[in-house]
Amino acid sequence: MSTTGSSAATPTAAAKVPAAPLALERVQLTIGDDGMAVLRLGRADEGMVTLTVERIAELDAACDRLLSHEALGDGSLRAVIVTGPDPTAAPGADARRPGAAMFCAGADVNLIREVTDPQDGEAAAVRGRSVFEKLRRLRAPVIAAIEGPCLGGGLELALFCDLRVVADAPGTQLGLPEVKLGIVPGFGGTQNLTRLIGLPKALDLILNGKLLRPKQALRSGVIDRLVPRSKLLTAAREEALKLAGDGRKAPPRRLRGQAFWLSRTPLRALAVRAARKALAKGQARFYPAPGEALRCCLAALTMPVAQGFAVEAKALGAMIATDVSKALVHLFFLTERQKRLGKQDGARDVQRAFVLGGGVMGAGIAGLLAQKGTATRLCDVAMAPLQRAKQRLQATLDKQTKRRRMERHEAQAVQDRFAVSTEAGSLRDTDLWLEAVVEDLAVKQKVMQDAVARGLPDDALLATNTSSLSVTAMQQGVPHPERVIGVHFFNPPEKMPLVEVIRGRDTDDAAVATACRLAVRLGKFPVVVRDSAGFLVNRCLAPYVNEAARLLLEGSSPESIDAAMLDFGMPMGPCRLLDEIGFDVAAKVSEVMHGAFPERMQPCELFAAMVEAKALGQKSGGGLFGANGKGDGPGRAVLAALRRSRGTPARQASRSELLQRLVYPLVDEAFRCLDEGLVEHEHDLDLGLVMGIGFPPFTGGITRFARREGLATIVARLDELARGLGTRFRPCDGLRRRAIDG
Amino acid sequence: MSSQKKPSRGMAIVAGVRTPFCKVQGALAGAAAADLATAAFRELLDRTPIRRDAIDEVILGCAGPDAREANVARVAALRSGLPETTPAVTVMRNCASGMEAVLAARQKLLAGEGEVFLVGGAESMSNFPLLMGPKLVKFFTRLGKARSFGQRLAAMASFRPSALKPRIAIVEGLTDPITGLMMGNTAEKVAQRFGIDRAAMDAYALESHRRATAARANGRFTAEIAPLVAPPRFDAAVEQDDGIRTEQTIEALQRLRPVFDRREGDVTVGNSCQVTDGAVALLCTSLSMAKKLGLQPLAVVRSAHTAALSPATMGLGPVHAVPGALERAGIGFDDVGVMELNEAFAAQVLGCLAAFADDDYCRREVGLPAALGAFDPALVNPNGGAIALGHPIGATGARLLLTLAHELRQRSARYGVATLCIGGGQGQAVVLEAA
Repeated sequence: MSTTGSSAATPTAAAKVPAAPLALERVQLTIGDDGMAVLRLGRADEGMVTLTVERIAELDAACDRLLSHEALGDGSLRAVIVTGPDPTAAPGADARRPGAAMFCAGADVNLIREVTDPQDGEAAAVRGRSVFEKLRRLRAPVIAAIEGPCLGGGLELALFCDLRVVADAPGTQLGLPEVKLGIVPGFGGTQNLTRLIGLPKALDLILNGKLLRPKQALRSGVIDRLVPRSKLLTAAREEALKLAGDGRKAPPRRLRGQAFWLSRTPLRALAVRAARKALAKGQARFYPAPGEALRCCLAALTMPVAQGFAVEAKALGAMIATDVSKALVHLFFLTERQKRLGKQDGARDVQRAFVLGGGVMGAGIAGLLAQKGTATRLCDVAMAPLQRAKQRLQATLDKQTKRRRMERHEAQAVQDRFAVSTEAGSLRDTDLWLEAVVEDLAVKQKVMQDAVARGLPDDALLATNTSSLSVTAMQQGVPHPERVIGVHFFNPPEKMPLVEVIRGRDTDDAAVATACRLAVRLGKFPVVVRDSAGFLVNRCLAPYVNEAARLLLEGSSPESIDAAMLDFGMPMGPCRLLDEIGFDVAAKVSEVMHGAFPERMQPCELFAAMVEAKALGQKSGGGLFGANGKGDGPGRAVLAALRRSRGTPARQASRSELLQRLVYPLVDEAFRCLDEGLVEHEHDLDLGLVMGIGFPPFTGGITRFARREGLATIVARLDELARGLGTRFRPCDGLRRRAIDG
Repeated sequence: MSSQKKPSRGMAIVAGVRTPFCKVQGALAGAAAADLATAAFRELLDRTPIRRDAIDEVILGCAGPDAREANVARVAALRSGLPETTPAVTVMRNCASGMEAVLAARQKLLAGEGEVFLVGGAESMSNFPLLMGPKLVKFFTRLGKARSFGQRLAAMASFRPSALKPRIAIVEGLTDPITGLMMGNTAEKVAQRFGIDRAAMDAYALESHRRATAARANGRFTAEIAPLVAPPRFDAAVEQDDGIRTEQTIEALQRLRPVFDRREGDVTVGNSCQVTDGAVALLCTSLSMAKKLGLQPLAVVRSAHTAALSPATMGLGPVHAVPGALERAGIGFDDVGVMELNEAFAAQVLGCLAAFADDDYCRREVGLPAALGAFDPALVNPNGGAIALGHPIGATGARLLLTLAHELRQRSARYGVATLCIGGGQGQAVVLEAA
């Protein structure tokens, strides 16, 4: 036993107590002879503690036992500590080397997926909450002792406790991320949290699904005490005895200062207005859950307690049955699936990385590596881009230290890990070498050969960030081509969540596994794609932007095209997207795609015309839109001239035509990629296009969207378009077959 | 001396790199000594094909580390990515700290306490602090001790504006506490003893700038200097030493007023070393280990000697240190192909050259049977010295060795001497042999 204080709280010591422990499978309740009860939410060998129907039933039984014990009135129950499984009892762990701790990761997501009836959802919410409420009915103080993830329903349970003590351990996180699954917290979370920390902070946490590290949780008032992990149970006992000694259930609490004024007075209208404004922005309108959560949080302040709980349960029922929630849950499972790719056999950790090319991509990737703990060296032929890379990283770090998500010394450590130089130096200890130089096959082959000549170990990953060249071609002439791989980040690499891991002809599984592991470590979702022109994302994007350009030529306005796609749920319209990536890049990529798919992907003449007029987009001071993205850009004149030369009258396409001509070919192209074996599974299409081009997450991905829309409808419409506008629309056989088979 | 007979036990300098040296409160003003040392260490480790866990110890010379990082060597070692298990020590012998670090590594190596050392010197003269005067310290102590309101009031009332006068660490550090002389005043004394006039000093200073200008133009510093991006804002890349005045004229030097002895003196800021920030990193190993690691040595440390003399003429330290080093190396003054003699002051360099050839001085003050001899000034600091490049106190000793090691290869010379005078009245000299 590490501490005497906790000895009574362990199962072995408790076995001596006459009141036999409840015979439960998961939840463990022990009541010591000093009147201290310890309720463990799971068994040490469970790994993940989620709130399943069974666990909630067991919790209910345990709470009933506590209530009946207290009803004896003999003072044999003084206080209750609610905590996670004993990390020192986990398989392979002991008191000195405890396993990873876990409080409770929230409701079982499978349950959320299965509920389709609002009333079932509401009933489940009421059921869970009424179990948690029993903790509040106890006269004895209840202390939550939290280490490890404490999320969703787990935090809601902790919020029903009278006090929260948290271990300052790396894996500890607290939050109510329900909105990310399209639902609202349903076990009293919106009510208890709003009353505890006030409206502004509660809204910030709940509406954004933000997760807090222990220090942040302490600052925001979600928890009461932060202690080293070895002292967690001792501290919880200490707090319990203090409250019990004072004959108190909970410490006195009241909101103060700004939290009080913005919660308990009419001034809260200000907080509500600010939140509503944020919810009206961008694509937020497609997601009803945050709005519902806002309503629930308000109810916590304006209604009696029971009524507030009822509002919340009803809201959960309504949300859990929505398509949006089902779609987001689907995507959640897909992200979990991709994260597992990093744990495959043969995956190695990257300790030292070398990045060649200090442009936006190289600098961004190198900075990301340094931030995630990898000693990184960024090289370029000149100091100027390297200096900008360091400065840009510092700006990111400054932002994080200002928001107190990072301490100054941690920021310094990131910069220390990030070396920049015009000298390549020794590559002997490097285990990831990545190039982000100019898109020229000969150059890329040469720098790879140089790296090998400079002593890069044979098993180091030789990665390219190419977006348009063949990885297989790069493998030619490089010793050990099995470790040559494409690791395609998107611009800007700090923000874009997808990494395409490109498997060349000779790339082996270990290299793929290592690249996936790297992507996951950098906080990205890897999608493994076979080497082929445009890979997955750019290949699907090509017909999309190409068609947007044709629509422009035919007479549709950029604004109408973008508006149609924004209303569809894309984060950005194709015209603005073209301005962002630049017409030069679009022209170049569309050439490559044309070479690979001559019948389908003939580039629209607009690209070349824009390049010729030097109206490249944002980088050249304006394309279709003005320099800062506002107003008309110089590209409008180019467009007008092209339209005139066509000789056909300009025609503004209808909204449905825009939608069908832009999105249906995207569906067709995605299925082609699957059938050609670029990716293994429909899941890869769903996740890849949501993360890569921002295909609306509320659809649950492109294949889900296609099935909802009706594959037969899509095929019929594409056939129709093919007859009217050209064979490029003709759907692939795979799509036809699926339309028939369903 | 037996150790030197067996070359396998000698210590080699196998790699080295330094930051640019930048004028005080200039491009590197925001970087503390640890920042500079970290940059130099990281660059050296990245450039050299050596595993980080092969380093047995880190030894860094630094005369004035920041209060937050008193053992700046350890801070820089960890920050540059060395394992937590690598020990690190900061050594201090004023102006010789960077050379002392190399000698400390050699002593450990010869004693069998390690074979691979990451060595260097770092100084941020920009970050020498302003210190609280004793009056202010007393005031705060009294205020802190005051308990009652009356005591507190009395303590407050005892404040005098004069207490705010700070002690300037860099000025106090450059004043000899035994003789009360500023370093420049000791140079004046050397000049007086050997009759070195203002014109000679200025001519020497001009030559230092001229040689440094030429050396840089010829790419002589390219292998030595690793550019860096200046912390903490990372808003500028620093690629070169910024003290070298390519357009320096003798007229401009002549116009300067003496700073130490304002009435009768000849030492000006123009013919003194520049106050700069910078760091040097060297990788030192035994010869056998260099071979084992597949590293080609730049040069071998053949011998060393440290001597002491009157603090009032500390500038002549090299005259006292060099003979001992030569004797231990078993070579004569004539065998020395090139010499790096730190330019603390032009007066002091010229004084040393005069003293080497001065029978009287060598006999009476150094205890030699006769003068060491005349040394060709063309072979002293052929790439310029601290008057042009600057003198970041703790870093200079290591910089001299790095420059000398490269210069030996450049000239295909066998032996070279690096030596410097040390505030407080000491001199240190190292004989390097081409590898």
